[in-house]
Amino acid sequence: MSVGFIGAGQLAHALVRGFTAAGVIATHRITASSPDTDLPTVQGLRKLGVNFTTSNKETVSQSDILFLAVKPHIIPFVLDEIGPDIEDRHLIVSCAAGVTIGSIEKKLQQYRPNPKVMRCMTNTPVVVREGATVYATGTHAEVEDGRLLEQLMGSVGYCTEVEEDLIDAVTGLSGSGPAYAFTAVDALADGGVKMGLPRRLAIHLGAQAMLGAAKMLLDSDQHPGQLKDNVCSPGGATIHALHVMESGGFRSLLINAVEASCVRTKELQFLADQEKISPAAIKKTTLDQVMQQPGVTAGAVGVRSQGISMFSSNPRTKKK
Amino acid sequence: CHCYALSGKASDMDSQLKIGFIGAGNMAFGIAKGILAGNVLPVNVRVSAPSSRNLGRFQELGIAVTHSNVEVVSGSDVVFVAVKPHLVSPVLNEISLHVTDRHIIVSVAAGVTLTTLEELLPENSVVIRLMPNLPCMVQEGALLFSRGTHAKQEDGALLHSLLHRCGLVEEGPEAWIDIHTGLSGSGVAFVYLFAEALADGAVKMGMPSALAHSIASQTVLGAGRLLRESEKHPAQLRSEVCTPGGTTIYGLHTLEQGGVRAATMSAVESATVRARELGQKSAAASRK
Repeated sequence: MSVGFIGAGQLAHALVRGFTAAGVIATHRITASSPDTDLPTVQGLRKLGVNFTTSNKETVSQSDILFLAVKPHIIPFVLDEIGPDIEDRHLIVSCAAGVTIGSIEKKLQQYRPNPKVMRCMTNTPVVVREGATVYATGTHAEVEDGRLLEQLMGSVGYCTEVEEDLIDAVTGLSGSGPAYAFTAVDALADGGVKMGLPRRLAIHLGAQAMLGAAKMLLDSDQHPGQLKDNVCSPGGATIHALHVMESGGFRSLLINAVEASCVRTKELQFLADQEKISPAAIKKTTLDQVMQQPGVTAGAVGVRSQGISMFSSNPRTKKK
Repeated sequence: CHCYALSGKASDMDSQLKIGFIGAGNMAFGIAKGILAGNVLPVNVRVSAPSSRNLGRFQELGIAVTHSNVEVVSGSDVVFVAVKPHLVSPVLNEISLHVTDRHIIVSVAAGVTLTTLEELLPENSVVIRLMPNLPCMVQEGALLFSRGTHAKQEDGALLHSLLHRCGLVEEGPEAWIDIHTGLSGSGVAFVYLFAEALADGAVKMGMPSALAHSIASQTVLGAGRLLRESEKHPAQLRSEVCTPGGTTIYGLHTLEQGGVRAATMSAVESATVRARELGQKSAAASRK
């Protein structure tokens, strides 16, 4: 089995590092492509032994499982470019936030009748094999495709299938989750420093406390409320601290954060679906480089003077 | 005498035990009802109060009534002192000569410490401090008691078996009694506040007030029973009610944003601190 990444940025790099550490696939069976060879992650991928190329078409031909690891607004360009080269064996896995399976299938169906598409939402800790991944299965993907993806993503953390309409909520929770945790540990460390600890020690202890607590919770079938009780001795330090946290609205803050991230994901998807994006809004170098690829024409990537319609099935039709 | 084995024997002794109440208020009444629901016969219970105002309901239960506190003490083995805190001192002074080492004196007066009680009574008196709460009146009380210097484990066990039909009965160190006051004595009022607010919310959304109140009270009762009977952690039960994206989680989010948890913790804290303050004040007053 060969794996390919369209896009050689943070996500591709993190996943390759995770897969490599897990030993689930040999690096010489991984191909990654990007028009931009100056990205620091490109170097990283090369060092890991990945076959790097500037040609997306080459990645497609070398792979069975194809991860779309580019920014959401690049997806339509990529799909138009590689569409003609997709074969029956290919499993397309999109990791782009807010991009629906339906929109990808619609694009690819111009080129072949039953494209196998899946959509996943993962997170950065795949790099240390503690990722949280969910995936949704497209119309023409088989059960075995799901199992295959689960095997791959399961090697770098937790992986489970969900209905596509839950993916935005997952983004809000575990997609953004590591950022919440980094912020929390940073602040906990500040607390430690305020009370006299050296910074490095404070960060290490804060992070370890969160790691340990998470592990306890995942290993236990007790409710987190019960585990919290187990730590709070009567009249002790911890219950005093918890009271302070409750007074600050800690719980509702976290609920609000997950909600905000989820809502914003939906907003971005809506904007992408509904509006025209001007070429200037797309990173110009990327567009130029895509256009420089052999066989790529302006018409094929849907560039028009008025703007670019994200998911128009016919690039020549003006979208309202 | 109270030298008997625990459990089996105790319930035999219960029916011969003489129980007295000094004070005929709601607490005394609630405890009396609970005691009668056990093995104690009404003929073995008596109650005293200065006025006849509250004695009628005791008489309806078949309990003998009097205006003489001394008579209650002389005729009883276990005496509940159920008067208002500021009356404890004069009452104990009045009965002190009639208290022997066969008596168990149980005080339900808020804020009156074991030290104070023991100072007011003869040396070696068996004293227990009991903090009940209002729902004792419907046999759903939460009662915490603490044994004084000369009250032995068997005395505690006897009290426990007498009171077990009043609700939940637990023993603890005296320091926990103020906390129990904040949690469960005052806690009852916190629940009433919450029930009222639930009803107000329903009225705001268009439900008639009487119905809203009736449903609110049943909701509190039902949730309470489910909590007690399931023996699950409340967080677990809460999770079980919350379907993803459903009404409950939306409502809970609003509650969290209102800081209800912190406010509730603070309420228990304020009530407990106040109970301690009052305890210190009354101890200081009785030393004068």
